[in-house]
Amino acid sequence: MLDILPEWFLSWFSEDGQEMIAYLTNGKHLTWYASVRYTLIAAVLSALFAIGFGLIGAALKQSGFFLFRWIGNFYTSIVRGIPDILFILFFPLAIEQGVEYFIAKSKCTAEQLSAIGTWPPCQEAQWFLTTNDYLFMACLSLGLVYGAFAANVIYGALHAVPKGQLEAASAYGFSQKQVFWKFKIRQMWVYALPGLSNIWMLLIKATSFLSLLQVTDIVYWAGLLGAANYFPRAGMVHPNWNFQYYFVLFVFYIILTMLSERFFNMLQNKASRGMSVVEQ
Amino acid sequence: MYMPNTPILDITNIHKRFGDLEVLHGISLTAEKGDVISLIGSSGSGKSTFLRCINLLEMPEQGGIALDGEEIRFKEAKSGRIASDEDQVKNLRSRISMVFQQFNLWSHLTILQNVTQAPVRVQGLSQTEANEIGMAFLEKVGIAQKADSFPASLSGGQQQRVAIARALAMRPEAILFDEPTSALDPELVGEVLGVMRKLADEGTTMIVVTHEMDFARDVSNKALFLHQGKIEESGVPLEMFNSPKTERLQQFLSN
Repeated sequence: MLDILPEWFLSWFSEDGQEMIAYLTNGKHLTWYASVRYTLIAAVLSALFAIGFGLIGAALKQSGFFLFRWIGNFYTSIVRGIPDILFILFFPLAIEQGVEYFIAKSKCTAEQLSAIGTWPPCQEAQWFLTTNDYLFMACLSLGLVYGAFAANVIYGALHAVPKGQLEAASAYGFSQKQVFWKFKIRQMWVYALPGLSNIWMLLIKATSFLSLLQVTDIVYWAGLLGAANYFPRAGMVHPNWNFQYYFVLFVFYIILTMLSERFFNMLQNKASRGMSVVEQ
Repeated sequence: MYMPNTPILDITNIHKRFGDLEVLHGISLTAEKGDVISLIGSSGSGKSTFLRCINLLEMPEQGGIALDGEEIRFKEAKSGRIASDEDQVKNLRSRISMVFQQFNLWSHLTILQNVTQAPVRVQGLSQTEANEIGMAFLEKVGIAQKADSFPASLSGGQQQRVAIARALAMRPEAILFDEPTSALDPELVGEVLGVMRKLADEGTTMIVVTHEMDFARDVSNKALFLHQGKIEESGVPLEMFNSPKTERLQQFLSN
């Protein structure tokens, strides 16, 4: 990396400084910086899942059919009660073993199936998951957990939309579908955004669990790089620097959440333009 | 086919109940072009419910509604009687507009958007056309300078005038007013009644639920006095107010 930096830039630094730059731009560090993408992808994808599950959950909760209502309430009350870290560990594992179970049933011999103690029962049933598969499953888990919170927020927000305005829309000839999408859902966002922004904050922070699923994210690399670094040929590169590396993560997450807050304020202002219902 | 004697609205024998409570016991009303009909009565007499039955915001269990001679068709469903043809209801609602007690302007839309929303999306006008019509009616109710503001920044009286412009922009055959001045501060009632008088003078067909007795007496040409879901007395307002025939109306007017 040092050789591609211009001479005048490097001349600002002492020899120690130049060594530091060389260290911070070595291959492992560049990989670390690049692994930010996992965190960002996970946050955005999980949020989209959470909104999707939230809308479905809210729709179920206010359904006229008791079974749907029961499913919706079951979802929001049970899933909200489980710690997200457990859900992230449990859910992908459950899917993985579930899939392997079905493969095993068709691929493995009866003998292998009845054997105790090995999983999967035969090599053919092994389902190899890539980092991206795990990332996707982690997002699905986070989406399910935070979707339950979002469902509650959206359900409440749908009820907060003034009835009179919906009635006026009906009275002016709008179809039920139009009343729902053009008026109810449109106004629902204004009431839901403060709650959803809270959920987004929690979700961003929950992306730090990705490394539990072997996703080589920023937390994983910070742990790796922060550990005491010793090369047989070069000797001790640095002692335990965990503190410094985790501190960088602190700062990263704080910046990310601060930017999010700004973004949500902007959204809120846009959605509630002219509406006095939400204090600004 | 144009028939000179067909009333705009012919409402016959409306019955409505909420659970065990029968709110309307067979109310009829005929509105000819240019009629201004006042519905008066104490609260709980069913006059607002009757008005809401006209555009089917409430579904009457019995009785008929005919718009320009065209009967609304009903069918029986599990939840009770419902309209059998949704397009017919849409047609009814886009030809009979409504002004509410609580204004019910759409708070996420500007004043002009409030006025043009239904003409564009329900009646299929182009946005330009609707804007032109909308601005003309906002002008008429004296609020054109606020076209780009949002409802929350307007006073109650201004909001109700916008709501009237919204009703007019549908170029309806009749307008239903549901206690249009009841939610207003006393000093704001005048501006709304002023607009309504102007509309009446221009021949707009109006059905008005009101507690404003001066308006009912001076502006309307027909009045219905409702008591406990029945028409207790009806006729020409001036005669009704000067010499009420029933004891109940006498009592109501003396309050």
